[in-house]
Amino acid sequence: MVLTLQILVLMTLAAAGVAWLRAFPYPSPLVRRFLTARKRWPERQIRGWLKTGRFHSGFLTYFYRDPERIAPPGDGVLASADGLITSADVQDGTRYLVIALSFWDMHVQRSPLAGRIVSVEAQGQDFMDGEGREFAFLREKPCPVQKRLVIETRAGQLAVRLITSLAARRIETWVKEGDQVRRGERIGRILLGSTVVMELPAAAALRIGVGDTVRAGETVVAEMGTPA
Amino acid sequence: MKDFFWASGHLGWGIFSLAVFTVLWWLLADLVWRLKNVRISRLAIMMSAGWILGAGLIVLGSCLGSS
Repeated sequence: MVLTLQILVLMTLAAAGVAWLRAFPYPSPLVRRFLTARKRWPERQIRGWLKTGRFHSGFLTYFYRDPERIAPPGDGVLASADGLITSADVQDGTRYLVIALSFWDMHVQRSPLAGRIVSVEAQGQDFMDGEGREFAFLREKPCPVQKRLVIETRAGQLAVRLITSLAARRIETWVKEGDQVRRGERIGRILLGSTVVMELPAAAALRIGVGDTVRAGETVVAEMGTPA
Repeated sequence: MKDFFWASGHLGWGIFSLAVFTVLWWLLADLVWRLKNVRISRLAIMMSAGWILGAGLIVLGSCLGSS
């Protein structure tokens, strides 16, 4: 009886050892739950899945999460996506606020302000790799696959570009021309995608800077004075 | 010490404890390695020291228990 129990315990431990060995160098299923998302599914592992097209189901569940967000009071322009601000340059009277999304960021995009959707345009014929984020500034550049949502707000017109990367496959938009959107309302999602560019008037006062991390529907990125 | 490996029709508690401790310690080392930004050489020294201490206590306990 004691020997049987001992053998059972040792077999369980042997199974744990095999699971560890099979997953190495990535985390074994036994320790995964204790790790942050970034360490649970390392970038190298995700890039490997992108090549094979087979993903860990736990990662996909995490990737497709769509948590509720509470917009802060006031009428500040909210970030449209979770991610890192990589650029906030002004060109031809428009400030292009580039938000780079990582694999672990929440990928649902939200409206920066309340307003009416003026247009939803698809642009580009090809995929863009992550390195080419500067292409986002070039309005007519056909390289990135993107959808540009123009929103008419009380403070003026602004646009949100959802841009895919080589790694990404699709963009979903959940609003259409003529729809009214609330501040912080969901407007779309980039599937396994990479970059969101907010186009604001150059006069908008920025509340964040390059290198800051922002959260969709929660972080105020700029203030746009309401026209009298 | 004879009871360390085999005792009364089952594995000795000494070798059994040592096997269980070794595997659990290995998994713990893996978890620490992933959670903490620590150099692998430093972690290896720390975990080896911990294993030697734990294994020593098991062997000592086994010897004292059988005497």
